[in-house]
Amino acid sequence: MSDSADPAELQKHVKKYLFIGALLLVGTVITVALAFVELPTHSMNIILGMIVATIKASLVALIFMHLNHERPLIYKFLAFTTAFCIVLFVLFIFSNSDPLVDHNFEKPLQPAEQLEAP
Amino acid sequence: MDIPYTVHARPDTGLYNAKVGIWLFLASEVMLFGGLFSSYIFLRLGADYPWPIHELRWDLGFINTVVLIASSVTVVWAWAAAKMRQFGRCQLLLAITVICAGVFMVNKFLEYKAKFEHYSVTLTDGSILSGHLEHGYHITFGEIQELNLNIPVKHSAVTSDPVNYVLPFAEGTIPAFKTAEGSDVTLDAAGFTKLRADAIAKAKAERRDSAVVKLIAASPFKLVFGKSDVFTYTADSAIFRDGTSVTGKLIDDKITLTADALDLRSVSAANRENSIAFDARYLGEAWKKHYILNRDKEIHDFNTKYSDGKGGTTRNPAKSATFQKHAFGLHIEGQHPPAAGAAPGEHGGAETDAHSAEAGHSSGHGAKVVIEPKDVTFFSNYTPKLNTYYAIYFTLTGLHGMHVVGGALVLLYFLLFNGKMMREDTEHFANRIEVGGLFWHFVDLVWIFLFPLLYLL
Amino acid sequence: MSAATTHDHSHAADHGHDHHKQAWIWKYVFSTDHKTIGIQYAITGLLFLLFGFFLMLLMRWSIAYPGVTVPGVEVIRAIPGLGFVFEEMFGRWLNADGSLNGELYNMLGAMHGTIMVFFGVVPLGFAGFVNFVMPLQIGTIDMAFPKLNMLSYWFFFISCVMMMASFFIGTGPVQTGWTMYSPLASTMNIGVTNVWNHGHTWWLMSMVFNISASLLGSVNVVTTVINLRAKGMGWMRMPFFCWAMFIIGFLLLLAFPPLEVAALLQLSDRLFGSSFFLPTGLMEGGKHLDISGGGSPLLYQHLFWFLAHPEVYVLILPAFAILTDVIPCNARRPLWGYKMMVYALLTLAFLSFLVWAHHMYLTGMGTMMSTYFQITTVLISVPSVILLTGLMISLWGGSIRFNTQMLFASAFLPMFGIGGLTGLPLAFSFIDLALHDTYYVIGHFHYVVAPGTIFALFAGVYHWYPKATGRFMNDTLGKWHFWPSLLGMNLIFAPMFIQGMAGFHRRWYDGGKYFEQTAQSQNWSTTLTHKIGAFFGFDIPDNMLSLNIVMTFGAIVLLFGQVFFIYNFWVSIKGGKKVASDNPWDATTLEWATPSPPPHGNFVFDVNAHRGPYEYSVPGHPTDFFPQWESEHGKPKPDGSDEVKTASASHAHH
Repeated sequence: MSDSADPAELQKHVKKYLFIGALLLVGTVITVALAFVELPTHSMNIILGMIVATIKASLVALIFMHLNHERPLIYKFLAFTTAFCIVLFVLFIFSNSDPLVDHNFEKPLQPAEQLEAP
Repeated sequence: MDIPYTVHARPDTGLYNAKVGIWLFLASEVMLFGGLFSSYIFLRLGADYPWPIHELRWDLGFINTVVLIASSVTVVWAWAAAKMRQFGRCQLLLAITVICAGVFMVNKFLEYKAKFEHYSVTLTDGSILSGHLEHGYHITFGEIQELNLNIPVKHSAVTSDPVNYVLPFAEGTIPAFKTAEGSDVTLDAAGFTKLRADAIAKAKAERRDSAVVKLIAASPFKLVFGKSDVFTYTADSAIFRDGTSVTGKLIDDKITLTADALDLRSVSAANRENSIAFDARYLGEAWKKHYILNRDKEIHDFNTKYSDGKGGTTRNPAKSATFQKHAFGLHIEGQHPPAAGAAPGEHGGAETDAHSAEAGHSSGHGAKVVIEPKDVTFFSNYTPKLNTYYAIYFTLTGLHGMHVVGGALVLLYFLLFNGKMMREDTEHFANRIEVGGLFWHFVDLVWIFLFPLLYLL
Repeated sequence: MSAATTHDHSHAADHGHDHHKQAWIWKYVFSTDHKTIGIQYAITGLLFLLFGFFLMLLMRWSIAYPGVTVPGVEVIRAIPGLGFVFEEMFGRWLNADGSLNGELYNMLGAMHGTIMVFFGVVPLGFAGFVNFVMPLQIGTIDMAFPKLNMLSYWFFFISCVMMMASFFIGTGPVQTGWTMYSPLASTMNIGVTNVWNHGHTWWLMSMVFNISASLLGSVNVVTTVINLRAKGMGWMRMPFFCWAMFIIGFLLLLAFPPLEVAALLQLSDRLFGSSFFLPTGLMEGGKHLDISGGGSPLLYQHLFWFLAHPEVYVLILPAFAILTDVIPCNARRPLWGYKMMVYALLTLAFLSFLVWAHHMYLTGMGTMMSTYFQITTVLISVPSVILLTGLMISLWGGSIRFNTQMLFASAFLPMFGIGGLTGLPLAFSFIDLALHDTYYVIGHFHYVVAPGTIFALFAGVYHWYPKATGRFMNDTLGKWHFWPSLLGMNLIFAPMFIQGMAGFHRRWYDGGKYFEQTAQSQNWSTTLTHKIGAFFGFDIPDNMLSLNIVMTFGAIVLLFGQVFFIYNFWVSIKGGKKVASDNPWDATTLEWATPSPPPHGNFVFDVNAHRGPYEYSVPGHPTDFFPQWESEHGKPKPDGSDEVKTASASHAHH
């Protein structure tokens, strides 16, 4: 599309941009509303909020930034960038909680009688 | 000898140079904000204090989101308009985009300003009082008769310079000074330069690393300074940041805070009711009673709302951030708690009443308390210093704000100075708008994540 | 055009602008020409390498002779001008007797690391060579964004000035190691009169400029490789040099931002009192700091090493890039396994982002993290070995010309091999626990970077010098440069392995003198040193400390070798032997098709890459090399009247 100069085609695109803009506003209202709903745990609020944000961000990236029909080369850069970003997130999380070791080892041992109970 | 593919795409890659460039730059930006967001995750997971939620003005954040989305639409529309050769419309849309950026930054300014003027005082038991300082915070030191200058012979980071680092804090007249040997010294720039040169020469002659000069004031004087102007102070001496020490008497270092909120989440459950903040010197019994009433009401509400019908709750109260915040925190609207319900407020507030009478000032938006430094472990306004949440908040939004300004300046440049190119070399101009627009969308994209993470969740 | 003069920007004021209408300031200083910028970067990088080397000499003196007056201090102090500069930079930190103290040693250590990595090797190895050679090799007239390219150099220049300025300000330069680990780096000297009196603030600001420069440079390099390759220059016809530089561009692009984050957060810790990297309850000098706490030093290390491990490959890959040109050319053999090397390179680059925390086994980051990073670290040795093996097998059956660049190139192979193999044990956390922060680690990475990368960079300088200036560097002086360098490097770094395994810590300013247990230990190497010393009439004690004297001696030998290089480099600009042809080494890649030195715009005919980059000793071809720019019908004529006329269509200027 970035090289197309057909006015009718572009006019259609402008309508699409306005529609996506409206969709993003709706998404924003949803985001705000979600933040004030008490879900069973706050982490669920966070996860849900991030999902809505990701959808909004994808709309911006795909439509406004024309990523929905960009050249393969750009997909290649972005794939690597995204991969490294995810590595950054995931490993930062794992350096806070280590699933391989028992996290209770620093807690005091249970009383002897409880340990001996069958 | 022109560089190829500056305007038209190279056939095999399908891209013109600037587009490759901007996407590479954006990839780098993704890693920049990726690093910041992963720091956010790391700090939040590792936080050893209740991570603040709903503490920022979400309404301002919401307006900014709307503004940024609108500007994203206008900038991509401007690109389409340029392609369609609708030049007037293109310029109008670009102008709207830049104005949106301005609105965004004004909001940001208001938000930051409110934060800088808001203070938080952590007491020794972990209670946190927040509020405003009507007159700032100053340490008053009086009856000063001696200045001790410490001047290293070699160029050094800490070398006494009382003209710039001590005397500006003097209140009232600055007396004349005499050296220990009895000669008169005028403490202005020229006088001090001479004094310093003499002292260094003398120290060099005596093969010492630094010169110590004692100046005696003809009459006692008074210094009023901020906390960050000194390394440290005690009841009878203070050492300024340039290494000059003074001896005298500490007159006042109390914090006069118009408290608007109390946060007891960091106090152990058993001690919350006995928080130092409810001491008779500070908020007093009335607020304590109000706190207990409020807490019990919140607990009752929570238990009713999330009752599982078997005497328990479906939600763990310890994991409900909002419940914790409301139940173990307190809003302080006036000098006295509202006399709602059966709260015996009017009896209990006598002590704080006395304070307020003393100060001769009754604030409409908080309770005035005068906090003694010995009860304080940490004191800061709402800046990056306050905690890691505000630190990452200011870093993320500040950096994002800088991107907004940068992007807006680029678009403004296209709007103001590329008119000729727009008409004569439309393809090139449209490419510029596309590249500027890609950056602008990226800025919007970052905000889409920032807004919920910092303002809402 | 081909008679254009040298590109020495600093001494060119008096000559050479008769062929161009540009004033010399635009031609040599604020130039947008990729060749000039490349040479600017290269010369700046070389100067910083020399400066970093002098810092190291001071450090080595203190290690070998702690508490002994540095020789010549009083002489330098007495020289007008230089004496003042020396006094402000180092002199004011020296002890009264002119010996080094720990504080100065820490400054020198931190600045040696910073300068060598960010101001020496990367500007020379990446920015210098890529700017000069890469556009020529892919057959284009300039970089994709020439103005940004100039801006990149000047950002880098600002960062150099700020870094040097930090020597002159109140606290002196940083003392916290080139890694700037928090919390020490977040809190050190925090209380002085103003933030601009901290060397630290200057370090961080300087790095922000340095990172911006590298960002602009790498965007430029990657875009140029993608979009400006000449007709016929397909991805798999591109010289390995360009492949490696293309990949380094990506590494810089994606790895530097997290360091920028780390620098910004640390700056915030220092300027605004935040606690990103400061844990709760941190005390200094028996007092609680006035901070909120709640942060973590581990966060800093993650952000830092996320950059710094890819950065290691940024340091090494220019060496491979240069040698894949130098070795096939001088062995007269094609590069062995070109495609496999390219794939190994891509794998290496990808994996380099996944291994960073093997620098952090000692931080207590958790068993799963260590396990994961041990696996990836061992994996990454596979592509590294492929790259080295490819270069080594390229020598097989060649008729090798042992000119200076080939000597450096062939010394690189075993030296890098030693560096690489000694790294393998460090990949395992249980061995790293013992060797971490010892001289073993120092020996390991210096073998990789000093006799490794820097030898390759010297090879590159000797190789492309005739292209840049139209004159050769003297080969005899080159050999006088090479042999002392080889000897000196090994005398410095080989004993480090022995000391490291004996437990010598890397940050002892006195070289271990006050640590009796380590100092008294002996083994065969100390006995050998003692006996050799005795043979020459020196009384060198038979203990580990004597190795310090060996290393310091090695550093002086190394300095001796560099004298020849410096002399050769400057004198050959005007006094070297002139090149007889534009392709003096009978090489095949496109840069040798341009006049020497190349004029603005580079090529005098329309370039077209007809074949792969390493067509040496092609059976049936009359000469032993078949350049990329020659078609089956022969060489294109400068006026473009050859058959390559058709090729110009794709290069048409829109």
